[in-house]
Amino acid sequence: MDEAEDGGGKIKPLIEKATDSTAAYVEPRLLKAIKCTVRYSDVELRLAAQTLMDLMKRDHSQVRYLSLLIVDELFMRSKLFRSILVEKLDQLLTLTVGFKRNLPLPAPPSVATILRSKAIEFLEKWNSSYGVHYRQIRLGFDYLKNTLRLQFPNIQGNAARIQQERREKEMRSKEILQNKFRTLEENLPSMKQEIQATIDEINQCLEIVTCKEENSLLSHIDDDDDNDEKFRSLELQQIRLNSLKEADKVHEDAENRVVFDTLRELYKLLVTKHLISVQGWISVLIRVEITNARLRDSMLKELIDFRNQIQLVKKKCAESGCSLPAIPKNGKEEEEEDFWEEGKVETIQRTGSSNEPKKLNESLAESSTCGEVKNPSTGCSNRKSEKHELPGNLLRQADSDPVRSKLLEKAPVMSWGSSLDNWGPNKDVLANQRGMEFENHWGRVDYDAVIPAGRIAELNLSASLYKEEQVEIQPCSAPLRKGGLCPRRDLRVCPFHGPVIPRDDEGNPIIGNTSDEGSRVSETAYMESNERLGVDSVEQLAKQAVKNVRDRGHDDARKRKMEKQLVKRAKLAKVREHNEAVLKDAALASTSGYGGVDGADGELVARSSSNSKKETLASMLRPKITRKDRLSQRLLNTKAKDATVRQLTQGEDAKYREAFPNQW
Amino acid sequence: MWREIANREAGKTRPNSFKSRVTSGLSSDLQLSNHKDIVSPHRGSVNSLQVDLTEGRYLLSGAADASTAVFDVQRATEYEGGGAIAKHRHVFAIDKQHRAAHKFAVSTAIWYPIDTGLFITGSYDHYIKVWDTNSTQVVMNFKMPGKVYRAAMSPLATSHMLIAAGTEDVQVRLCDIASGAFSHTLSGHRDGVMTVEWSTSSEWVLVTGGCDGAIRFWDIRRAGCFRVLDQSRTQLGRRLPVLRRSMTNKKKTVTGNGAKQQLALGRTPGKGSVKLRMHPGLLSTQDRATAHYGAVTGSRVTEDGMYLLSAGSDSRLRLWDIESGCNTLVNFETARLQTSKPIQMATSGDSRLAFVPCMTAVKAFDLWSGETSMVLRGHYENVNCCWFSSQDQELYTGGNDRQILVWSSSKPHEDVSVAEDGDNWSD
Repeated sequence: MDEAEDGGGKIKPLIEKATDSTAAYVEPRLLKAIKCTVRYSDVELRLAAQTLMDLMKRDHSQVRYLSLLIVDELFMRSKLFRSILVEKLDQLLTLTVGFKRNLPLPAPPSVATILRSKAIEFLEKWNSSYGVHYRQIRLGFDYLKNTLRLQFPNIQGNAARIQQERREKEMRSKEILQNKFRTLEENLPSMKQEIQATIDEINQCLEIVTCKEENSLLSHIDDDDDNDEKFRSLELQQIRLNSLKEADKVHEDAENRVVFDTLRELYKLLVTKHLISVQGWISVLIRVEITNARLRDSMLKELIDFRNQIQLVKKKCAESGCSLPAIPKNGKEEEEEDFWEEGKVETIQRTGSSNEPKKLNESLAESSTCGEVKNPSTGCSNRKSEKHELPGNLLRQADSDPVRSKLLEKAPVMSWGSSLDNWGPNKDVLANQRGMEFENHWGRVDYDAVIPAGRIAELNLSASLYKEEQVEIQPCSAPLRKGGLCPRRDLRVCPFHGPVIPRDDEGNPIIGNTSDEGSRVSETAYMESNERLGVDSVEQLAKQAVKNVRDRGHDDARKRKMEKQLVKRAKLAKVREHNEAVLKDAALASTSGYGGVDGADGELVARSSSNSKKETLASMLRPKITRKDRLSQRLLNTKAKDATVRQLTQGEDAKYREAFPNQW
Repeated sequence: MWREIANREAGKTRPNSFKSRVTSGLSSDLQLSNHKDIVSPHRGSVNSLQVDLTEGRYLLSGAADASTAVFDVQRATEYEGGGAIAKHRHVFAIDKQHRAAHKFAVSTAIWYPIDTGLFITGSYDHYIKVWDTNSTQVVMNFKMPGKVYRAAMSPLATSHMLIAAGTEDVQVRLCDIASGAFSHTLSGHRDGVMTVEWSTSSEWVLVTGGCDGAIRFWDIRRAGCFRVLDQSRTQLGRRLPVLRRSMTNKKKTVTGNGAKQQLALGRTPGKGSVKLRMHPGLLSTQDRATAHYGAVTGSRVTEDGMYLLSAGSDSRLRLWDIESGCNTLVNFETARLQTSKPIQMATSGDSRLAFVPCMTAVKAFDLWSGETSMVLRGHYENVNCCWFSSQDQELYTGGNDRQILVWSSSKPHEDVSVAEDGDNWSD
């Protein structure tokens, strides 16, 4: 008995402590402590059930809510706890769900709604896991569901439904895969033939081309032998080699145009159709589940061989240097593929420095010069800032041609727009020649109507916005007393640390670093900067001010970030404080009993802390009193007083009869 | 348990004491039965429950949605949870779809005491109907002057087939099934009659309790009521002391009133006894006596027919000695009772426990000391009726939450489910 009393001292304060909080969850440490305490002692468990039921009766939804959370934790774990609590389940439900009209849930309404929904959820959970063992749970569930018609979340049902849906989806996709596999099985031989034929043709084309190449190469070598003695200089030799290499590439001309055309066509076919379809089949084969694994493996092997072959051919084509069509730009239907192939095209262009890219570059350069003529101011302003953003491959190509590179350096990068559509041509446009018939009832159509070039240029005039160059303002970064560096970003002078000067990582000024004393250093730095300030021209200051105004947006963002950091820091501090408090409590609880002076101290601490907490709990309850409320309150008071007086006098004898019916 | 059986085998204990020991053991720890569910088809509060008196197998329930249902409490219709839970669905139910069904709430449903071929329902639509169980058709209709609160048939009757009906009306009517007419109209109450009970010791004696707070005893062979219980006439203990009784008997024989002693219920000697007999209409002073302040909402005669337990809207329970007509002054612990509706109480077979619906709970009182021995909580709304089946030692309760709950001793059923339902400490 003594032991029981002793043990009883332990769980009760723990639970009270745990429920005495404004948080939306039970402090995990306390919960753990409660579980540990209760696990090994039935006495504690009984006491815990009793305490929790008592707490449930408190007139505060927050307390009830936290108790409910603890109840759920214990309910799902201990059988004894279940059997105790099940006896009072109706009471528990009344207090947590608040289905009785004369017993609504208490004050903070926001918490009350959470409490109710949580209680309903828990009841459902309990019913699904322990309903078989406890008639009371079944009854309660049934009552809430069928009599009161409360909405249960039906978690399990939902989960099952989702599972079912997913399974169906999987089945469907499997079915589709199977179908694909079947068609693949049927079509494979014909496809194989087709691909093989294409590859063969490409190879033949390449052969024709390379034959010529060899011829030319031979001649070049002869040349080389002849001229060997003439050119000794190393640089010259290098240049020559380069040019030779350039010449190695077969160039398209009138006589081999047919071959090239065929090659291009075939290449396109190979890359856009065969390669993609082969890859698709491979993925289908990998994903599909069929019983005949051997067949699948063999097919997979075949397909992979094909893919490798195709890639090989592709590479060969690229190496051969024939001008290859830019595949995706040839009007493929899918936009995504356009995006996707972009990189590939570039690589092709890069590897094969053939006629077409050159042409493209030239046209680009030309257009840029045009742009300069048309809009010189834009060009000039943008040129320097954007130069280094030119695509790498263009630059590299530009290296080979000094004139072009020079031009490129000057060329502005235009933003994309419709004005680029008819950039170069400076001629009139026929208005009514769009491939459509405009003969209609509106009258005769003048097919020779012309829009003058000036008008076109006017329509296509591209506007560009002036963009201010962004400047990063250096932080002051003077060492702070509490450690760290000053994060202020001022243009010239920090209001706390004087002028902004370059400093190293620890905050020491870099300029005056050689002198020994820090104070003097800063002083000299200050003087220096002052001087510099004097030197600074007014003009510069004005410029800076303008820039400052422009950068205000940036500053704002930075400020917001700073604020966020501050808030975060405050939160961290609070968490730390709380952790310490909890640790202290845990330590107190774990010491055996509240014996002696220490115990008294602990209790005192606990009481004081609970007092301070209770304030917060109470503050949750406190309603906001308006003037109207106060008036009505006063009115009510007088009315109520009258009523009670009347009632008291009236009910006197009735009460007497009720109270002493057995006395006579 | 086994030792007791061995004792009985050896003849050390007598059959009666053995039986009473077993039954009291079973009935003293009733719990909500997890193994027996009665699936209620009712959509309104259950107002009346009765297990048939012949087989102890069929439970008849009447509910506020004008429906009546019969359940087989011995054999389950289906099992759930791996055979752990036996579900008892209704054998048949009569609801408003039935052509001859009641229009309003069924307030009482009782079995014909001789067999299960007939049952009787009374309803707030002013009708008492007699049903054939097998064809579920109405065989007889009695139109009453007001809402029917309670109907009763004598479990002992051999010479009459009367249904006593307590209604909104002040008169108690006895409906004769044999003729299909009202055979008696008993007037005396000054307000509606909420409870009607036949004596369990005499087939002629009827006990009625009214909204005027009076409990009246009627001998149906004579006109008028022969006793009105008065809460101020009391006796301490179960019976009058033997000495006084024998003395009074002697007096009676001296005065030559012995003939009257042959009545099944002896008259208590007293001042007014002579006048009583001379004036069956009673003296006005005695006629105005009340058993409760307020309405009498429930009454129950113990199985031996010697005591009457009554409940009133003053939230009191009183135990009356029927023979003397005195309040025995058993102090039942305070309990709040439902006041607006008649309640149906039950007593255990050995008259040791009284089961009383107290709002949402059913309380089991020790009949002789008045102490609460059990509080059975399970209903979520007020409980209206309970019935104790002395054959199974089970209690059936019905309430406003539309449920019919079974309460039984937990002892015989400690089996499969225990293994599954264990502790689950993960940390």
